[in-house]
Amino acid sequence: MLEFIEWLSLTPWSIGLRESLYMYPWIESAHVLFIAIFFGTLLFVDLRLTGHVFQELSISQMNKRILPLTIIGFVFMCITGFLLFYAVPIRNYQNLFFRIKFFLIIIAGLNAYYFHKTMNKESKKWDKDSHIPSRMKQSALASLFLWSLVIISGRMIAYNWFDCGRQPQPDFINFLISCTADSDLYEGLDGI
Amino acid sequence: MKNLIIRVTSIIFLYFYSSIVLSHHAFTAEFDANAPINITGKVLKVEWINPHAWVHVEVEDQGKSTIWMVEGGTPNTLIRNGITKDSIKPGTVIVVRGYQSKGKLCLPRCIANGRDVTFPDGRKVFMGSSGTGAPRDGADPRERR
Repeated sequence: MLEFIEWLSLTPWSIGLRESLYMYPWIESAHVLFIAIFFGTLLFVDLRLTGHVFQELSISQMNKRILPLTIIGFVFMCITGFLLFYAVPIRNYQNLFFRIKFFLIIIAGLNAYYFHKTMNKESKKWDKDSHIPSRMKQSALASLFLWSLVIISGRMIAYNWFDCGRQPQPDFINFLISCTADSDLYEGLDGI
Repeated sequence: MKNLIIRVTSIIFLYFYSSIVLSHHAFTAEFDANAPINITGKVLKVEWINPHAWVHVEVEDQGKSTIWMVEGGTPNTLIRNGITKDSIKPGTVIVVRGYQSKGKLCLPRCIANGRDVTFPDGRKVFMGSSGTGAPRDGADPRERR
């Protein structure tokens, strides 16, 4: 895997993005903007399901109005996110917070999949008797919680506390970030 | 409902307040404000990469050479401040002021946050980013006094 990431980092577009004067900051800013659109609209979808906002609006109405924005935000958030990864592949691949974020995205994705499968099937019924099952409320809360953690761990990628280039690190950290540091260098030092 | 609005607003406010203090990665998370450095050495190479450029400097001291990796701003901020690929070519002897990383082990290299760099012609240029929470040492011309 690391060999593939190294190859990726040497592709001309990756080098170009990494060394760019304007593209990288533009993509980075766009990523934050689309996170805001995605999460901002998701907040309303989820809080509607838990019954905190827009109770006069039916679920299917809300889905029709707000969900497209959430999806647009999500798609562009993913594209810009991929580009940010692609610009600095090795550092991101060996970054503990990036890995935590990736793991959380998978869980949040599974939750969203379950959520939408049920919602598409049953939202018409909820419109009629205005009763939302509690497992859907739980799923909506889980979605807010998980995506918040995704955003926080994404923000933490900037910090180098557990970077492969910053040694010595405990063995389990090096294991978690697939880092093969030359441990002989640090032998006899404290904290290892 | 009113309670919820107050709660959400205060969370948003706190978030933005903390992001002002922490903009990009906070200085104090990685560097030691009590460990200023002032090194003179030869540029080995410069990594012109986002989100931070790195200047590798070889410092000779009593026959012993130490390699310092000095973190700068983004390539964009460096060029705006007047540090170009031509002005900081490998082999140039520069003076760097900055702060050492918190883990002071120089293995395999010493790491520092660069504040300003002085070129052979005496030109002194700010090489960091503004608003990182680094000490107000006068290196940043845009810093509010």
